[in-house]
Amino acid sequence: MHPDDNQRYFDQHQAREKICARWLKKQSKTVRKSILLTALAGIANGIAVIIQAGLLANILSALIIDNATLKPLIPLLAGLVVVFIFRSFCVYAQQVTGFQAGASIRTALRQQLTDTFAVLGSAALKNQQSGALAAVTLEQVDALAPYFSRYLPQHYIVGLLPFIMIAVVMPINWLVGCILLFTAPLIPLFMILVGMGASSTQRSQFLALTRMSGYFLDRLQGLATLKLFGQAEQELKNIHKVADGFREKTMAVLRIAFLSSAVLEFFSAVAVALVAVYVGLILLGQIHFTFAPPISFKIALFVLLLAPEFFIPLRQLAIYYHDKAAALGAADAILTILEQVEKTNVGWVSDSVTQQSKSLIEFNNVSKSYDQRQVLTDINLNIHQGEKIALIGASGAGKTTLLNLLSGFETATEGSIWLNGQALNRNHALQNMAYIGQSSYLFYGSIYDNIALANPHTTAQQIQTAAKLAGVTEFSEQLADGLQTLIGERGYGLSGGQQQRIALARAFLKNADIIILDEPTANLDKETKTCLLVVIKQLFNDKTLIIASHDAEVIEGMDRQIVLQHGRLA
Amino acid sequence: MNDLAFFLRLFKPHSLWLVGGVMLALITAFATITLLTLSGWFISASAIAGLGGDVLLFNFMLPAAQIRALAITRTLGRYGERLATHEATFRVLTEIRVWFFAQLIPLALGRLSEARSGDLLSHMTADIDALDALYLRLLAPAIVAALGVTAVTVFLYAYDPFISFTTGCLLLIASVAVPWLFNQLGRDGAENVVTLAASLRLRQLELLQGMTDLLANQAYARFAQRFIKNSERLIETEADNNRLTALSSALTLLLSQLALLVAVILVGLAYQHDELSGANIAIVIFCVLAAFELVQPLPQAMQMLAKTQTAAQRVRHLATLTPTIQMASQTSALPNRYDLRLDGVSFRYSEQSNWVLKNLSLTMPQGTKIGIIGASGSGKTTLLQLLTRHYDPEHGVVLLGNTPINQLNHDKLLSCFGVLSQRSQLFAASIKENLLIAKPHATVNELKLAINFAGLTEFIARLPEGMNTWVGESGVKVSGGEARRIALARLHLKNAPILLLDEPTEGLDEQTEREVLGALAGFAKNKTLIMVTHRTVGLELVDVVYGMEQGFLVKTFINSLN
Repeated sequence: MHPDDNQRYFDQHQAREKICARWLKKQSKTVRKSILLTALAGIANGIAVIIQAGLLANILSALIIDNATLKPLIPLLAGLVVVFIFRSFCVYAQQVTGFQAGASIRTALRQQLTDTFAVLGSAALKNQQSGALAAVTLEQVDALAPYFSRYLPQHYIVGLLPFIMIAVVMPINWLVGCILLFTAPLIPLFMILVGMGASSTQRSQFLALTRMSGYFLDRLQGLATLKLFGQAEQELKNIHKVADGFREKTMAVLRIAFLSSAVLEFFSAVAVALVAVYVGLILLGQIHFTFAPPISFKIALFVLLLAPEFFIPLRQLAIYYHDKAAALGAADAILTILEQVEKTNVGWVSDSVTQQSKSLIEFNNVSKSYDQRQVLTDINLNIHQGEKIALIGASGAGKTTLLNLLSGFETATEGSIWLNGQALNRNHALQNMAYIGQSSYLFYGSIYDNIALANPHTTAQQIQTAAKLAGVTEFSEQLADGLQTLIGERGYGLSGGQQQRIALARAFLKNADIIILDEPTANLDKETKTCLLVVIKQLFNDKTLIIASHDAEVIEGMDRQIVLQHGRLA
Repeated sequence: MNDLAFFLRLFKPHSLWLVGGVMLALITAFATITLLTLSGWFISASAIAGLGGDVLLFNFMLPAAQIRALAITRTLGRYGERLATHEATFRVLTEIRVWFFAQLIPLALGRLSEARSGDLLSHMTADIDALDALYLRLLAPAIVAALGVTAVTVFLYAYDPFISFTTGCLLLIASVAVPWLFNQLGRDGAENVVTLAASLRLRQLELLQGMTDLLANQAYARFAQRFIKNSERLIETEADNNRLTALSSALTLLLSQLALLVAVILVGLAYQHDELSGANIAIVIFCVLAAFELVQPLPQAMQMLAKTQTAAQRVRHLATLTPTIQMASQTSALPNRYDLRLDGVSFRYSEQSNWVLKNLSLTMPQGTKIGIIGASGSGKTTLLQLLTRHYDPEHGVVLLGNTPINQLNHDKLLSCFGVLSQRSQLFAASIKENLLIAKPHATVNELKLAINFAGLTEFIARLPEGMNTWVGESGVKVSGGEARRIALARLHLKNAPILLLDEPTEGLDEQTEREVLGALAGFAKNKTLIMVTHRTVGLELVDVVYGMEQGFLVKTFINSLN
């Protein structure tokens, strides 16, 4: 890589990280209350620790130095019990409220992501493997939670608690106070140094995870094919490679995390040791600073008990720093999906825009381009109620794009499209249309449920009728369970023609005014095709029918032909 | 528990790492306890020495050096332990993923046809990930806690038997009773998390893979709502689990503080009876404090034990399914001739279902070409699947060159067949890689011939990246017809002696259909061919046509064209 490229990559990377950080901040505003409550519980616990150290120091000093009996110590011991119970409660509260912060963000984001998928539609998502996308909505959304439930509250805790502790220690022994004051910043400083590379390592781990999910799903779906070609055993090597890649990336993340916590542990141990050595030597009377304050056993014990506690919130923050790195990595993946909405420019016109129009559908100077590539140019078109239209053109002429515009799956780059005198948007369009693509997805469930997709409240009678008219019963009656036969994902076990019939039954049940079919016979043999065309004609006799096809037999049966050539009407 | 033990066996090849991890953990635990105890003693002893004026007799250099050494040991030990245990665990997880996939291979034909790939994906990712707790959170901490608790109790016994006994009891409660309690309380929640997470993935995949149809039928919002409901149920269950975890943290903290309190009172009493010296008070108290650090992770680990168990059970369940066929213990060599014979073959999918094939006999000497015609559901595809051993017949026998096929190695048997099934699976890979599945070391020329044979030359020429174009889920959209042609090209590349064609030209337009059939005629010239179809197109390829009806074969006509 050229050094300049390297620099540019780095700048972009930094800029990207800033965007992700800003987005995370925005998200945190929605759960501010939970975050603050969590921090509050943590701070209360910290204050209780100070009191606990004070009580313990008093008790032990009374026992060891003053040779006191237990009786006068009872109030102190009782105080200790109260502090213990209070601390336990704080620990509980901190964990529970923290979870809440993460939980509501996860739900909100899953909702937002599924909505985004719908807005984008399959056209925009077709370059991504669904196994990988699922890993984003599941694992990566989960990976955000600790940032809100642990890292952010800890941020507040660290902002306050160490200062409270120093404020308590200072008046008692200013030298120890100073030791704490000057060693404390070392921890966040080092944390930042270690954390610098963490988010990019984390990102590549997420990438490895999504890659692994996508790859495994693909190979699992094709396992039978691999077996038939005797390649399944060979595939194990690839599975190992992908799984091992994930292990390596995971370990890279963990190595940083472990190293940083080891270093921090060491630093805080050094600081505590510094306090201990000072205290020990003073107690022994080995050193006499003229300016050093004298120290009693009670105070020595107090500062010694407190010193490790002083560093605990800082060390926690350092550990949680990796939650931040993880969240930044996950935010990048999530944002990449959310941002596609702007990129694909799916801005819909609002319902209120209307115009006078006699035709059912009207295209005015419509053009569509993807980046630099012009797909449709200057389409002017009127479609009237009840017309039977064949949309003709070679592959790549723009037929599917035209249908996608018509059904609102995509929006025009220029010009306007009108449906019943209203500016077309997808909700409006899909209410009025039934759309059947080249291959229809069948869901895991019965044939019956698959037909009832558009309207789950349809009566059994209606479904039976639709199934009969679309020719589904022809094959379903030969199956032991009839329409209740379970069909797997992707319609396992049914031929292409049978799947198309189920899709036709769906469309018939929907009873929409406009029927759009994208090459409905592309995958069918001649006999099935002829049968299906008869069915289509019968089913949709009174509807507006638009069929994209380059099949002579399909075209023959239509009243009107619209011919596309290189994205223009011929 | 059986399931966990089963997976522990898979950890065996990495036992060196695992034992090393536990050893390091023990060293760290030892350093931690000793460090705290020694420091406590050091400070108290210094104070007492300082007050008593025995300063010159007090050697503070040695314990100070020991404390430094211990602090370094603890830090390095913990770092090393974490690296070793995690490295070990993730190595094992990688192996388990590969192992799982390997277990699926014999099930791929037949048994897995009903499995949902999203479920299998969950097994292979999330469920196997959940097995990490087995060693990291259960086994290693339990060993360390058991040894640590015993050591501390014995150590304290030397100072004061009564304190040792009380602390031992409290430690036992914290390390056995509390974890057991939380295991009981957490069981349902931990199990539910696994199943809810798996169904969430299924719903997400359904939303994504069926998006166009869902949108077109205005069902997307409904399905998305179900997905969100599922997610909410999962998060609620996790919240319940988290509450329980929080409770166990709080309880463990309380218990350790309580132990401290009891220790303070007891040492106070012992001191007053002169049974314990001043400096030893600190030793006992700090030792108790440190010991509780060991048992802290146990309640949570036990609470989520059921999660690991459920995951293990799910993964193992699929892997222990028996294939639909019996594997021969000793296999015969492939016969020289590829004569096929079915002798009195009957088959049904289960004992409850109807017979699909009934007492079917058929002889096909090498080079025979037959067609089987029948309506869908008549058992044609099943017949082909008996040849490739998706299933074994219930009665009767299938012979290849006089050897029953169940005595042949399955992979070797499959190498004799070129199968064109109704569904052509494309992988998310380049066209070239998709073709090479049929013959990994094919030459450029062989690829070219296969592409030409399948009528793909023009299609590939149109693609900017040619054969390196990505197809499949993450690649360019390939129509059903194009996918079928890629499958045809694979068939050509594999060049097996027996061709099994299941509706070979379905999905092709008329012109391509003619081209493909013409090519197939030449390709199949010296091969055995069985073609299954529900229509008459393509039957010119075969010599004899049988009709299949309700599980019986009837010779319909002999092709006079050939």
